[in-house]
Amino acid sequence: MVSLLEPNAGTDIRRMAAPVALDTTIAVVTPENIAFDYQLAGPFRRLPAYLIDLAVRWIAIIVLVVGVYLVGGLIDFALLDPFAMASGFIIYFVISWFYGTIMETYFNGRTIGKWACGIRAIDVDGSPISGKRALVRNLLRIADLAPLAAISSLNEEIPPIFMIPTGMIGLMAMVSTRRMQRLGDLAAGTMVIVDERSWRLPVAKVEDPRVPALASFFPGDYRVSRSMARTLAIYAERRHYLTPARRREVARHLTIPLIDRFEFRSDIDPDLLMYALYYKTFLADASDELPDLGPLAGYSPLRRDENKPQGLAGGSRAQRPTSEPPILASAATGVATPQQPLARDTIDRGIKVDLGSSSVRAEGDAAKPPEDAT
Amino acid sequence: MNVAKLLDKRRVQWTELEYLCDAMESRGRTDKAGGAHHRGAEGISRFSTLYRAACADLALADAYQLPPGTVTYLHRLVARAHNQLYRANKFEPNRWTDVVFREAPQQIFADPCVRAAAIIFFGLFALAMYLGRNEDLFPNFAERMVGSAQLEQMEEMYERPLAGSLDHYVRMSGFYIMHNTGIGLQCFAYGILIIPCLFNLAYNAVTLGTVFGYMARPDVTGGDNFYHFVTAHGPFELTAITLAAAAGLRLGVGLFSTGGLNRVDSLRESAMRAVPMMAASAVLFSLAAFTEGFLSPSPAPYIVKAMWAIGSSGLISFYFVILGFPRDSLGVHRRDEAMDPDTGSATHAA
Repeated sequence: MVSLLEPNAGTDIRRMAAPVALDTTIAVVTPENIAFDYQLAGPFRRLPAYLIDLAVRWIAIIVLVVGVYLVGGLIDFALLDPFAMASGFIIYFVISWFYGTIMETYFNGRTIGKWACGIRAIDVDGSPISGKRALVRNLLRIADLAPLAAISSLNEEIPPIFMIPTGMIGLMAMVSTRRMQRLGDLAAGTMVIVDERSWRLPVAKVEDPRVPALASFFPGDYRVSRSMARTLAIYAERRHYLTPARRREVARHLTIPLIDRFEFRSDIDPDLLMYALYYKTFLADASDELPDLGPLAGYSPLRRDENKPQGLAGGSRAQRPTSEPPILASAATGVATPQQPLARDTIDRGIKVDLGSSSVRAEGDAAKPPEDAT
Repeated sequence: MNVAKLLDKRRVQWTELEYLCDAMESRGRTDKAGGAHHRGAEGISRFSTLYRAACADLALADAYQLPPGTVTYLHRLVARAHNQLYRANKFEPNRWTDVVFREAPQQIFADPCVRAAAIIFFGLFALAMYLGRNEDLFPNFAERMVGSAQLEQMEEMYERPLAGSLDHYVRMSGFYIMHNTGIGLQCFAYGILIIPCLFNLAYNAVTLGTVFGYMARPDVTGGDNFYHFVTAHGPFELTAITLAAAAGLRLGVGLFSTGGLNRVDSLRESAMRAVPMMAASAVLFSLAAFTEGFLSPSPAPYIVKAMWAIGSSGLISFYFVILGFPRDSLGVHRRDEAMDPDTGSATHAA
């Protein structure tokens, strides 16, 4: 079945270029030579749409037939009755067979049910559906709804007029094709996609004052790789959904190399570090003045400054208490590290920062000698 | 230039494009999007400019290192604008005559599925008619095939000579359009699964054939009236159901007789070939329905109905053979048209 219904590989660039993602999106190349992604609509989005259409169809038939009868009755019932009957039959025939075709043709691939469920039928190459294709995919629906299950075989009392379409054939075809097409879609060369209606442009706003402060400790010439930039953006978007403890757990794996490379204290909040790198990559301007650090001024997250007393270690949010002891343990190694990164660091960040930290250092040395000694 | 600044700069245009999309979705025009430069042709040109700009932004998204959320947004925005800019092709009624009088007969003449469906339908029909008529050699065949209750009902129905009024005619032609064309469309749709289509076709052939044969027995009451009724619309209706089944079979056969094409492409191609045949079949069904509604139940003399049947058979033969006979110039033209979707997809692949 799978090989029988294998989608057309020739039109699909993405598939040849990259391994197929385990995702229900499909890339479409437009005449502007842009490839954009569509999210495919699966059976669970399409079934409610179908049921709504079914209801709408019956309501339309009933309303129209009753309307025709009323009009015929008001004018001259005896004369117009047969015409009303005939038009009733024809209304039933046209609506039950061609409702989908007409709707999809004139409403750009959408019926009322599809509109309600936010889905749309389009051509497999991304162009809108044409009348001929809409006709084929809607006529073949009854083949997709096959086989019919007769309820009367379960219960003798039910008259044998109720035949419930099980839709097994369409479901099988959808499961075994990559574009989730039923047979009608395959024949017409169409697919059903999710028509997104939420138009939020997500840009994470950074309100935490510690973030720009921490970001200033990254060297100015440090550029993240593309994959890292993507990771950072995904992290910044999703961190709102995580608890602080989970954020640190997720971020720690990524920040270990950063901490090693830029000589940060090992007890630095990994979540904050990731967020700061995100801020530096996407939001901060290279030419910006250093932000006003306020009460955080003078705090240094660098390992070489670790043995200096600091007013707000780890920021306003409390550091994990368990990580306090390693500060002292790593203090010894911090002294032994080569000066090369530090020198570059100093140049990049400018004299202003250096002056600030050195002044704090002097101040701190004078203020809290006992803590340093322990 | 960092991302935040870039987004701030581009966002103005994206928002404008969104407004235009909103207006296009609700009205099909850009007039209501606000602003004097959104009216009429200017609005359309503004829309396409913004759409191309959004396309360019999407193309450069990777180079700009846009965050994935923004890229997703751009995908949606471009998709949405694309859907509005490239609208569906509506039906073109001025092409319908061309489809029915040129494409369909050519297709019908050339397609082996039509011959297969015709042999199955008319073969079984003739066989069932013979078996149903010949009571001596095949006793009880008709009763077993159709059911004796059904046969009695038929006899009762045609006991009295035909005398319908206008009311009756109009109503019945509406009913026949619904019922018979419905059967034809069902035959077509099930064609993609082949077996249900063949079953439907054979079932109709055997049932009709048996009833025809049974009514032709000399000892059955109402036989004359029955033939009085069915003669006129017979040619149209029997041909129409055969054609509908043939169009359906074309779909199903396209699944495994691919002719060197990809299986899905072959199915799509067959579907496009089947549509003109289905259209011809629908026209025949409607003709049959009107004949069946107006002429068949009327008390007109048998000779008129027979002439109508002969005339309609001649018309169908003319349609299939004369209009359908392969002509080189038209054939080449048709093949060019059929190639169009393929070349379209080929450019994308390239």
